[in-house]
This record gives sequence, C-alpha cells and structure tokens, in this order.
Amino acid sequence: MTQHASPPRDSTGKVPSAGAPPVWRGLMARADVRTLSLLGVLAALIVIGGITKPEEFLDTRNLQLVLTQASVIGVVTVGMTFVIISGGIDLSVGAIVALASVWATTVATQEYGFAGILFTAVVVGVGCGLVNGMLIAYGAMVPFIATLAMLASARGLALQITDGKTQIVTIPSVLDLGERDAYVLGIPPLVMVFAVVTVIGWLVLNRTTFGRRTVAVGGNAEAARLAGIDVRRQRLYLYLLSGLCCGIAAFLLIILSGSGQNTNGNLYELDAIAAAIIGGTLLTGGRGTIVGSVLGVLIFTTITNIFALNNLQSDVQQIAKGAIIVAAVLVQRRTASTT
Amino acid sequence: MAPEPPLLSMSGITKSFPGVRALDGVDLDVQAGEVHCLLGQNGAGKSTLIKVLAGAHQPDTGTIHWRGEAVTLRSPIAAMRLGIATIYQELDLVEHLSVAENVHLGHEPTAAGFVVRGKSARASTAGLLKRLGHPEIDPARLVGELSAAQQQIVSMARALSHDVRLIVMDEPSAALDPDEVDNLFRIVGDLTAAGVAVVYISHRLEEIRRIGDRVTVLKDGRAVAGGLPAKTTPTREVVALMTGRNVEYVFPERPVKDAAATGEPLLEVRGLARDGEFEPLDLAVRPGEIVGLAGLVGSGRSEILETIYGARKPTAGQVLVDGRALRPGSVRAAVRAGLGLAPEERKAQALLMLESVTRNVSVSSMSRFSRGGWIDRAAELRAARAATRELSLRPDNPSAPVRTLSGGNQQKAVLARWLLRGCRVLLLDEPTRGVDVGARAELYAVVRRLADEGLAVLLVSSEVPEVLGLADRVLVLREGRVVHTAPARELDEHRVLDLVMEGSPAS
Amino acid sequence: MPEPTDLTSRFTSRRGLLFGTAAVGAGALLTGCTSNEPKDEPAANDQPAAEDKPGKPVTIGFAGPQADHGWLNAINDNAKSRAKKYSDVTLEITEGSNDTAAQIGQIETLINKKVDVLVVLPADGKALTQVGLKAMRANIPVVNLDRIFNTPQAYRCWIGGDNYGMGLNAGHYIGEKLKGKSNATVIELAGLDNLELTQQRTKGFDDALKNYPNIKKVARQAAEFTVESGQAKMAQLLQAQSKFDALWNHDDDQGVGALRAIEQAGRDDFLMVGGAGALSAFQAIKEDDGVLKATVLYPPTMAASAIDLARALGQGKGVSGMAEFEIPASITLYSAVVDKDNVDQYMSTGFK
Repeated sequence: MTQHASPPRDSTGKVPSAGAPPVWRGLMARADVRTLSLLGVLAALIVIGGITKPEEFLDTRNLQLVLTQASVIGVVTVGMTFVIISGGIDLSVGAIVALASVWATTVATQEYGFAGILFTAVVVGVGCGLVNGMLIAYGAMVPFIATLAMLASARGLALQITDGKTQIVTIPSVLDLGERDAYVLGIPPLVMVFAVVTVIGWLVLNRTTFGRRTVAVGGNAEAARLAGIDVRRQRLYLYLLSGLCCGIAAFLLIILSGSGQNTNGNLYELDAIAAAIIGGTLLTGGRGTIVGSVLGVLIFTTITNIFALNNLQSDVQQIAKGAIIVAAVLVQRRTASTT
Repeated sequence: MAPEPPLLSMSGITKSFPGVRALDGVDLDVQAGEVHCLLGQNGAGKSTLIKVLAGAHQPDTGTIHWRGEAVTLRSPIAAMRLGIATIYQELDLVEHLSVAENVHLGHEPTAAGFVVRGKSARASTAGLLKRLGHPEIDPARLVGELSAAQQQIVSMARALSHDVRLIVMDEPSAALDPDEVDNLFRIVGDLTAAGVAVVYISHRLEEIRRIGDRVTVLKDGRAVAGGLPAKTTPTREVVALMTGRNVEYVFPERPVKDAAATGEPLLEVRGLARDGEFEPLDLAVRPGEIVGLAGLVGSGRSEILETIYGARKPTAGQVLVDGRALRPGSVRAAVRAGLGLAPEERKAQALLMLESVTRNVSVSSMSRFSRGGWIDRAAELRAARAATRELSLRPDNPSAPVRTLSGGNQQKAVLARWLLRGCRVLLLDEPTRGVDVGARAELYAVVRRLADEGLAVLLVSSEVPEVLGLADRVLVLREGRVVHTAPARELDEHRVLDLVMEGSPAS
Repeated sequence: MPEPTDLTSRFTSRRGLLFGTAAVGAGALLTGCTSNEPKDEPAANDQPAAEDKPGKPVTIGFAGPQADHGWLNAINDNAKSRAKKYSDVTLEITEGSNDTAAQIGQIETLINKKVDVLVVLPADGKALTQVGLKAMRANIPVVNLDRIFNTPQAYRCWIGGDNYGMGLNAGHYIGEKLKGKSNATVIELAGLDNLELTQQRTKGFDDALKNYPNIKKVARQAAEFTVESGQAKMAQLLQAQSKFDALWNHDDDQGVGALRAIEQAGRDDFLMVGGAGALSAFQAIKEDDGVLKATVLYPPTMAASAIDLARALGQGKGVSGMAEFEIPASITLYSAVVDKDNVDQYMSTGFK
C-alpha cells in the first residue's frame, strides 16, 4: 500500500492493493535493480566458474573466448530486442543468418573477396528483413506467422544454395580476422563489432526519435497512431534493422567458423528471445533495454562456458538453460504485477 | 419489507481505481422476482457495481448479503455458483464455437467426466432457446455467424443454463430493434414470474417505466436514491437525481463577444458520414469557439470525432482546416494540419502508460527537438515542462510515469501534447471521463483558456451539463443524426436529456 | 544413420565374420577382388557387386531423406552416379524429404509404379517399417540403406555403416599411436547427443580405450554436426584442457569448425582423428601439416553398393566373391581408418 504519487484533490486516499502504483522513484530504482540483479547473476556465475575451474576460467584467453562466442548471437539479440520492444517477434533470425552466411560464401561471391562477402551478408540480411517488414507492416500479417514463413523459406533457400555442403572460406583477409594475430589490445575484432553494435543500439533506443517511436509502437500502437506516428513505416524499419543485425552476425560467423553452412544459426531465434526476456524486455512490448539483453547473452554464454570447462554434458546444459529462463520470467512477472 | 430477507443486499460498497473513486458507499437491495433498474449517467459507477456483483471486481470495503448470509464473491465462478449471472453489454461469447458450446462453456455435459456429450448439450440448448422465444437459432451454428440480437439471446441462454436466481442485464436493449425489445421484455416477465430477480440497466427511461419495479439511481459513485417506484416516480425527479450535483461545477465565463458570429471557420466538416455509424454531418468551428456534441453511447459521437481526425475513413464528405481539405482517413495529415485528439479511452488510445510524462507529451513533436533523428533531451524536457506547467499538471515532475497520475492530470498530459505540437483544432472526447469532480473545474478552465487563445475546440460529452456549461454552441446527437442545434445558453439540461433519451429506439 | 541397439548386438556378433573376411573394406567384399584402383569419378570404388555385363533391365526406385548435410548429399550423388554406369539400370529417384508422411507417400508411389527393386534410406527407420513391409509383400525387394527398419521382414537386404565400429577403430588407432606414452589423455568431440548413433560411437570409442590402460579420456563435449557448433564446442574444450594428447571428433563436417577453433587457439600439441570421411579431411590428412592425422570412415559409398545390390537382386544374381547364390541379408560396412598412408586410395570417395 502506497500513497498516491500525486496528492489527489479529492478523497481518493488509499489505492487498492491490486495494481497499486508505487511512487515513481520506486520504478526507477527497480529498473536499476533489474540491471543490478543481472550483474549479480553474472558475478555469481564468475564466482562459480572461478571456484570450480580457477585456472581455466579466470584466464584472459577464456574471457576472450566467452566474449567471442557471445558476439554472433549478441548482435542478433540487439536487433531482436528492438523488435520485441515494438511488440513484435522475429522468428527468422537464425534462418536469415544461415542464408546470409551461405550466400556470402558461395564460390561466386568469394571471387569478390572480403568486400564481396561482407556486402552480400549484409544485403541478404537486410533483404530478408525487408520482406518480413513489408509483410508485417503493409501486408497486415502477424509477425509470428510472417517470420515463421521467412524461417522456412530462408532455410530452404540456404539448403538449395549449398546442397547441404559446407562452403569453406578461402579468403585470407576474412579468415585472419578470426585469428589471435588480429586482436587489438587483446580484444578480438568480433568482440569489437559486438561492442559497437551494442553501443549504437543503446544510443538509437535511448537517444533517437527512432527509439522513441519503437517504444511508443510497442507500448500502445493505437496511441502511437493517434499521436501521429507512422506505425507501419516504423514496423518496416524495425524488421529491416533485425535483418541488418542478422547480416552482420552472419559475417561474424563466417569469420569465426571460416565457412558458411546451411545449418548455421540453429535455434538463434530462441536464444535471442530468451536473452532479451531475461534482460527484462517485455514480450508484450513497450519496455526493454539493450544493456539487459546483452547481459542476458553474456549470462547464457558464461553458463555454457562453465559447463564445458567442467565437462558437463549437453543434457545438463539444456536443463539448466530452461530453468534459468523460467526463473527469469517468474521474477519478471512478479515485478510486472507490482507495477 | 417482506419478513424474508432480500435476495441480495449490498451495503457500503466502495471501489477505487488509481486516480478515481468509482464507487463511494453504494447500497443496493434486490428482492426475488423483481425487476430492479439501475439508472445513472456514464461514469456514475453502474458498470463497476455490476462487476462487483459478478465477482469480477473485489470491493475495497462494504458487505454483500445473499439470502440473508454474508458472502464474498471472489471470482465470477463464485458468483455463478450462487446463482448470479451477468449479461454484459460487450458480449463475452466465443465466436468460433457453436451456440451450444458457448451456452455450456465451462460446464459441458460430459460422459465419464471428460467426454463432451455434444448431442445432449445441443438438445438442452435448443430447449433454452425455445424458452427465450428464439427456436430458430440452431444450437450447432457458430456464434460468429449470428446477428448481435441473436448473440444476446445466446448470452441469455447461457445465463439460464445455470440455476440462476439473479440476472444482471447491462443495457440489453441497446443492440435490439423494437420487436426484439418486446421479446426481451416478455422473457424478463417470465423470469420474474418464476421468482428470478433481474437487475436491469438502461439509459431509456421509458423501458424502465414499462418493466421496472424499483429504481436505484447512481451518481458519481453514490446511490442518490434507492428503491424508488419505477412506474410512478416523475421523469423530472429521476432526471434531477441523475444530473443533480452535490459539487457545483464552476464553468468558466464565456467571452462576451459571441465567437460564433465572427471569423472564418478554422475547422469545417461538410457532409461527413460513415455508413452504419453516423449520417452526413455539417459543422464549423471558428477560432476561439467551443462547439459541443451531446449524445448517449451509440449516438455516434466518438465515431464522428475519430473520423474528423482521420482515424476512421469516411464513406462520404470532407474535412477542411483553414479552407483546405484533408486527405481522408489519414491521422498524419490531420495532425500536420493542426488537429489534435484527446480520445475517449485515454489509457488505450492516447497514453503510453509505461512512459514518463515528458515522453508522453513530446511524442507528437519529436521532430521539434531532434536533429537527424537525435533527440536533444534538454530541449525536449524544457518544452514538455513548459507545456505541463502551463496546464498546472501535478506532480510537477516530468519523469513521473504517466500511469501514476490522476485521471485529470493524465488528461492534462494529453492536452499538453497538443499544446506543444502547436495544434489549432482540439477534438475532445469525453474529456472528464474518469476525472475526479474537483479536478474537472480546472480542466474546464484550461479548455476555455485554450479557446480564448484562438483554438477551435470540438467537444463531445455524454454529460449534458458539461456540454452546456463549456460549449458556445451545442449539437444534440441521437443515433448518428443531429436532432437539434442551438447556442448553449438557449438550452437547458432537461431539454437536452429529453432530446437524447426520450422515445423508443425506433422513433 | 541411427540403428536400434537390439540389432546392433546382432551385427556385432556378425562383425567377427566381416572383420576377418572384409578387412580391406566393404567394397572389396562386393567386388570379387579384381582391382581396387579407384577412378576419379564417380566417388565409389567402381567395381560392381555382381557381374558387370549388361543383363535384364532393372528399374530401381530410390527414396532418401532431404540432403541437408554433406554426408547425405554424398549418398544421393553416389546412388545417381552408380546407376548411370549401368545401361540396364533405370533409377527412379524421389525428392528427398525429412517428413515421414511425405516419404511414405513417395515410396508408395514407387510401389504403385511397380519398380523392380527399392532402395530406401529412411528419414526415420522405425517409422517407415510399415511401408517397407508393404513393398516386400508386393514382391518388390527392398534394400534398406543405413537407418534400419524395425523388422528384417521389411527388407531383403540391409546395408549400412557401423557407428560402434567407428568409435572402436578410432579408439584403437589413437591407442596404437599413444602406445608407450604414460598418462596419456584424450578428449572427444561428439556429435548431436540426441541421436543414438552418437551414443554408439562414444561407446565404441570408450570400449577400445579400455585396452590401453595408459590412456584416460578426460573430457567430452557434444556438438551438433554443424561447423558452427564444432567451432564453439572445440574452443571451449581447448580452453578446458590446456594439455592433451589426442582428440577424436565424430564428424568431419563439424570438424571444419573444430579445426578452425584449434587454429584460432594456436594449438598443435596433439593428434586429431576425424569421422565420416569428408574430402576436406582427406586433403588435410594428405597435406599432413596440421593436427588432423586420420579419419574413420562412415562411407557414403554405401549408396553405390546399395544400387549394385539392388541391380543384382533385380537380375537374380549373387555377390561375386562369395560362394552363395544369394545376396546376403545384411551387410555392415567396415569403418576403415584413413591416414596418410592410404588416403590417396580414398580421396575420390571424400564428400564435400
């Protein structure tokens, strides 16, 4: 029971316990608490890793490894976070990463070298995002269905392009970016890209009209429309953005694995959605943070790392992952119910 | 009073929502076999009261006695178990299920505990429909294929499929034509003859006279009269009870000069119509003028405003601002031309409830303080704060989440949005709905000041005194048609209420 | 690829025989030992199972799963190119599908077309048993390729790989290489753990290592047969084990990623053995400038052999090189170890 934030002029008095609005400071504090609690989880994981495998876990190389492994899915998650904040969903991210990665590594593309691969990966990603966006914004399709269709088609096209064959990248300038020699001040190039995408994502969400419109559309699409926002165009841009992130992620994956394969990006959609939700993004839209999503990705990657270092098998890893998602959503619901 | 305790006795019921007290100590007694009518204007608390009765809302304080015993209605199921059924105005049927499935939803006749016996469900549904005078409705048809009136019958069949002792009907005649209303009244008569009590909610006084036994009048969350005889209480008295104020609204002075007589119209509507919603409409609003649209729910008021604003596409006619026609059906064109809408459903249609006051105010003017998409947040804050201070929005805290504001201050946030945008034509749809009585006077003053500063204001309200007190000129609407136009000072509340309420729906 | 355990034991007992007589590889058993020299195209050892002379025309229906993996793609290629070699063979090949219902429909169509023999690589062996039975009842002999039906009644002849044997041979190869090294350690990069075949490969590997008390398996992680997962899991394994002597990787496709991770970590202090027999692996073995020293076959050439067997069935012939008049009821292929010494011989069978 809290007193109403603004002293009402009438006798409103106490507000009922259900849906009691806390003072606004409480909310601000809770937003911080959410980030802090994620940081707390990460810190706890680091302690667990440090205790169980002190030598292997607390090691610069391991830090580089965890961050590198987080980069690809991290970039995808930044795009996904925007889409979910807008009240949408993009189930096609994994398939788009696969398609972009194989299109960018065909023999024909590789003839154009580094630029050809980068350009193709990005263009394919943006192209798929464009199709998603047009279907959802102007074709009035439900995002779930439109992106599910894209998932199927993009995977099919990726298979058609490769015939199921792994496409080996032979361009040294691409491969070199994944080697230790390319690290700058100990930071792998992939991690730098991830960091840049994160910072840009944060700025766009928090400092631009684009970010504001995204939140407005997700928070209340009808109100956004009646406030004069072009809701459909905003939706189109959002899926384009997600596609762009997938294209960048595909390029990173090509560098990391030195190849393109139609099975790439397997279940990225679920990993990205899970990371965003753990980070506090509401699946219903209207609220979410880039920092939270990135912490979500780092938590998952760190868990995988600790499990692998301790030689625990994939069954245990999967069970733990599921438990963490459930726990995070329950906590989120509890916070949501008091707001 | 009979020696037996009343079937239902509610006393001292209060219920508050953030920013508004919906019920403020309501008492209601219902006897078995009577038709007890609930009367009251929009926002008087009728819906909240019946939701408490249906177990959908929990009262903050107050007691409910059912056949002499104190009960708590924790959930709709608890209410249903006691024999209380509610037929809501917005029908709560599942369109993709059949009539029989809807009627038996949640208590399907089963074999072995889980196998639904469709045939027996259909047979019992057919029996209920026959009893309700609609044997022609096929229990196997999908509810979505039925007319609104038929759907209402299905809703009623669902209520009767339980062992029901009290039926609450929320404006059941709103969707019906005269024949069907007659059938409805016959059903009500049958039910009461069988000892079932009916709580009947309607705006239409003449219906209440035809079937009602007693009347309870709600106003501003209070029962201002309970158990009046429905047939004999004079209309004048009922209307006075519905409209009489315990808090006198202070309406701002009208400008001495008659604005209607001067200046070119800023907003002009020519032959605007939407099939099935409202008939061709002409109106003009000049700078400094407030034009009011008075009418009940279903009279087409909100639809008219939303169509002018471009949120609905008109089937005919055009909207002109400063003599220039707007692209029909485009909100963005309307906003660009200087229109601003404060919609009826503030929370659903205007506010970003999770966001701060500043962001709610700035959302329509982001380009003003951004360059290349980058927001100058200091400028945004300054501009939003200037707008909210001009309207004395409380608390004076730009980062407060808008959902923690009272109803009146939320409305001010919406007005501040359009003020910041520099809008010239303000469309207000039920501007004081959910706003506390005390805060209303302040809103009225704000609206009048905005008009004095040269805005054209089009006001829609179901609260007649509000329209009469605030507007310069009034258009009275009835079922999508303007039935009367006059300067506000030439009308009084009773005259307007007569115009909007009087007569049967067909007349 | 998965093969039910109850049947594994059956084949394991039979393995003794095959071990002895067919040590040079399944191809040799079927060819009558004329020549083992591979030609460049098509991929398989191109000596036919039965006589090479054109005989009675045979229509062979072929139904396989969707080729979404290098190995499965190689299966299709092997079947097609083998059939093309025979003037008396017409191959009716269906669109590959991973959907059981779709595959059943395709096979029923082939039955209705009255093909002479069916070669079926089911998406799911258990689920397609019924349609196998149906074909057999319609007097169309079925050659069941790799993923086995529930009952021998559903096929005339089964031919497939040996997952347990793969692990066994990988383990033996590593064991011999590390012989005499005390406290040697090995790690295992397994395939998709959801598949029974992965468990069988691991079991074979572990059983083989039991013969070498000086060797201890210190870590195992499962990847997903994809390059991406191979890279990710291998990178973690390398971080977890700062020193080890040998690595067995179940699958050469994910091995591309694993080798990438090894390269990125700058590690070369161990010996790596692959699995399946991809061309890229053969090339790396031949060049011998990295950690990959050998790979254990799970040969996609079995599809070519299946065509041979189907042709022989259609023409009523036996297998040359065997005394019997009839084609055997089941043939388990030998998972040969390919290393630098014999890689040239297998180069043409490597799949992309």
